[in-house]
Amino acid sequence: MTTINTQHLRYYPQKPSEVYLYGTCLVDSFFPNSGIDAITFLEKQGIKVHYPQGQTCCGQPAYNSGYKEEAKAVALAQVAQFPLDIPIVIISGSCGGMMRHHYPELLDDVPEIQAFCDRIFEFTEFLVQVLNIQLTDNGQSEKVALHTSCAARREMGVHITGGKLIKQLKNVELITHENESECCGFGGTFSVKHGDISAAMVNDKSNNLDKAGVVRYVSADWGCMMNINGALEYQKKSLRGEHIASYLLKRTQAQGAS
Amino acid sequence: MSAHQVTPNESKYAASARNFRNNVARDLNNAELRENFHGAMHYLRDKRSAAFPQQDELETLREQCKLIKQRCLAKLPYLLEQLEENLTSNGIKVHWAESTSQANDIIATLIEEKSGSQVVKGKSMVSEETALNDFLEQRNIECLESDMGEYIVQLAKEHPSHIIMPAIHQNKKQVADLFKQNISDFSYTTDVDELINVGRNILRDKFCQADVGVTGVNFAVAETGTLCLVENEGNGQMCTTVPPLHIAITGIEKVVEMLDDVPPLLSLLTRSATGQIMSTYFNMISHPRQIGEKDGAQEVHLVLLDNGRSQAFADEELRQTLQCIRCGACMNHCPVYTRIGGHAYGTVYPGPIGQIVSPHMLGLEPTKDLPTASSLCGACGEVCPVKIPIPKLLLRLRQESVKKQDGNSQVMKGEGVGRSNIEAMVWKAWAGVHRHSSIYNFSMWWLTRLRKLMPSKLGVWTSVRTAPKPAAKTLHERVKKHQSSGAK
Amino acid sequence: MTKLQHNIARANILAKLKQQVAGADYTKLPIETPYHYPEIEREQQISQFITHLTNNHAQVIKTTQAALAEQVADILNTLKIENLLYGKDSTYSQEIEQLNPTVKLQAFDFTLEDKKEHLFNNTPASITSSHASIAATGCIVLWPSKNEPRTMSLIPPVHIVIVDANDLYSDFASLVKAQQWQNKLPTNVLLISGPSKTADIQQTLAYGAHGPEKLFVLLLNS
Repeated sequence: MTTINTQHLRYYPQKPSEVYLYGTCLVDSFFPNSGIDAITFLEKQGIKVHYPQGQTCCGQPAYNSGYKEEAKAVALAQVAQFPLDIPIVIISGSCGGMMRHHYPELLDDVPEIQAFCDRIFEFTEFLVQVLNIQLTDNGQSEKVALHTSCAARREMGVHITGGKLIKQLKNVELITHENESECCGFGGTFSVKHGDISAAMVNDKSNNLDKAGVVRYVSADWGCMMNINGALEYQKKSLRGEHIASYLLKRTQAQGAS
Repeated sequence: MSAHQVTPNESKYAASARNFRNNVARDLNNAELRENFHGAMHYLRDKRSAAFPQQDELETLREQCKLIKQRCLAKLPYLLEQLEENLTSNGIKVHWAESTSQANDIIATLIEEKSGSQVVKGKSMVSEETALNDFLEQRNIECLESDMGEYIVQLAKEHPSHIIMPAIHQNKKQVADLFKQNISDFSYTTDVDELINVGRNILRDKFCQADVGVTGVNFAVAETGTLCLVENEGNGQMCTTVPPLHIAITGIEKVVEMLDDVPPLLSLLTRSATGQIMSTYFNMISHPRQIGEKDGAQEVHLVLLDNGRSQAFADEELRQTLQCIRCGACMNHCPVYTRIGGHAYGTVYPGPIGQIVSPHMLGLEPTKDLPTASSLCGACGEVCPVKIPIPKLLLRLRQESVKKQDGNSQVMKGEGVGRSNIEAMVWKAWAGVHRHSSIYNFSMWWLTRLRKLMPSKLGVWTSVRTAPKPAAKTLHERVKKHQSSGAK
Repeated sequence: MTKLQHNIARANILAKLKQQVAGADYTKLPIETPYHYPEIEREQQISQFITHLTNNHAQVIKTTQAALAEQVADILNTLKIENLLYGKDSTYSQEIEQLNPTVKLQAFDFTLEDKKEHLFNNTPASITSSHASIAATGCIVLWPSKNEPRTMSLIPPVHIVIVDANDLYSDFASLVKAQQWQNKLPTNVLLISGPSKTADIQQTLAYGAHGPEKLFVLLLNS
């Protein structure tokens, strides 16, 4: 069942010639390939990508732990990094949700903060809703699953766009795994503060993905994937998740290119 | 008697909530329990989803019902006065209790004034809040639960693990075993029809003999002075119609302004709770038995309980907690509840709603682990029929929990209890790094260069996962190279 | 608890709440927009009503006022029930009284306390009229009276209820509005959508939890 919440209805601009990329702290130090792939993919669409070197973290870890002032200080530093009035494409639904939906309240004393938040687009959302992209699939036929992060699903309402992109790939069959909409158990500090509950959740999620009979799963959130891939590796399973930016880049590159 | 006095009843739940982490460890490792919850939650999710075939109807109703509850809360003190006035003129007596012990005293006194010794009880979570059964037992008044699930739970000397389906943690074999241990002439069966029939026969005798019926209330209508009860079994009606004395107990947030407010709320309540388009019975009581009438309770009383609700009311954001109509959909859809079950929370109300309401009832000190026991996945907020932003309220409670005590405005009892100096310092340092990109970039540069030194064991994280490894170079560095290599 | 303590509790609660809403402007509350259900034909409403009740294990029988006694006799005969509790001077009492002497009719002309055990243990079936009915949710609205008291639809294991399709409303909200309930609520109003049931043991539905195990709906003028 698809949920379309009125809070997710928003205005989408015409295709821009330039965008910012927000890489997120996790991608910066752990999974930078996804950032480069996202940039490359956007550039292939004829878009100039700015990557402000001053960006760090959206502030969500502190915010979700109840440390609002600390989160605010970090959030403020981010806003200052994106002065041009162009879209900010973010390769995480979770950080996107933070910047789009929590900044207005967190930074309510910042003038025109809403205008900043209105420039935030999650990567798959940007491809589908702003670029209206049509993908050409050059890859082998395969089955994949999609894991949408809870923030992408419920805060950003972009769980549909990831699936739409996969469905454009003519050689890829999208398999729905059991309890697809259920949380993987990451939840930032939740996975440490309540490690046993989080463990039970990620074990179920990784089992459900593994049972789906797919060669890989894709996701637009490295937070979830760090959690799920870590569990899969621990269980010595071969299944892994891949960031959707990397996956789309790979599938759409001319055959022979790796 | 002060509202914040700790009574023996309050400490029972406080103690078990304080033990949350041990409860979780215990129940996560109980395979049968997890299977029972897993099956039940998926059953209830499917039922709910089938009951809302049209998304636009659901969303329109949710918005309408949210606004109804917000209006009723905005007028709460005046509606309570109006309710009292109309109930009183209808012949129903109204009592007020700030604390659970006050509520129990009121109820016991009413029963003792009538020399009552046998109470039958319809399902009432508010009476669980006050631990009424224990209290009346101590006064030598038998208090028998008559909802089938509650009856099972009482036999097992447990408390409800779910607000709608109290015995959801037990399967039919466990119920059969329980009956065998407790009912003398029970001939063993695991057939559900037969098990229910055993309960029916025992309880019908009790309805016939009881001198008091105690129930909860789903909606109290101020405009007409009407108490509305939603149920499937008929035990609620038995409790309100057969014994000569009916005592209803409810939280002050259950009042609605008008009769017209009831149909949309009722429609969302039953569908969200069990996926029924309508419960079997909807019982609307506006008077005690009137002259010439042949049945119905001759005396009807309503006890209005605060128990921390006015604390939530005092903060506009936290006030949304009181919009709840107790459908249980949040727990049915919660991945945490589904895995740890209802008893692990230790509180009367389990699951997401319990996590946001219990800190007002018990204070944040015993409940400080509850607001953090959520991945903030948002499933609860998505299904809430009155649009309580549960994840947002959990965040707010986390803030209250780690708040620095400055001696000024106290928002809630126990605020600041979760603050540790070490954690506060860690976040301060974290903010220091992340607000200055030069320090951040320097740190990440070192993190990636020292990746080989990353420990492979990271406490609880690596109990079921491998440790993530930093990349060789940061994205910041790689972008610089990417851009200088002449890519567009 | 003494009267004084009671008054203190009341005053404290109300004072705390009033402090928060002092000066609130209730003319500025947001507009609450109800969902508009598509209007459906009467025939459809009737079939909706029947479908919902049937799904909830009620048995709906279309009949006429003239054939009421015969229908009731049939039901009781099938169930091998010989006694029927009914309300004297109620809407359909004349029709029901035609059942004499094949069925032993018992009028509810006593107070509950006088015959409680009899009602619980020796009253296999009852018949009542109804006040209205609701199509969208398959509900029957009882408006119990001196002649047809509340326990008639509750205690006997079989309840037969007569519903006049002319009193069918599309949904609960429109019924409350059309009849202006806020001006005239009786001691008790009861909405029924099927026989008593529970799913409290392992989500398995069982009928006849505490109230009637069987509900027969005799639908007139459909």
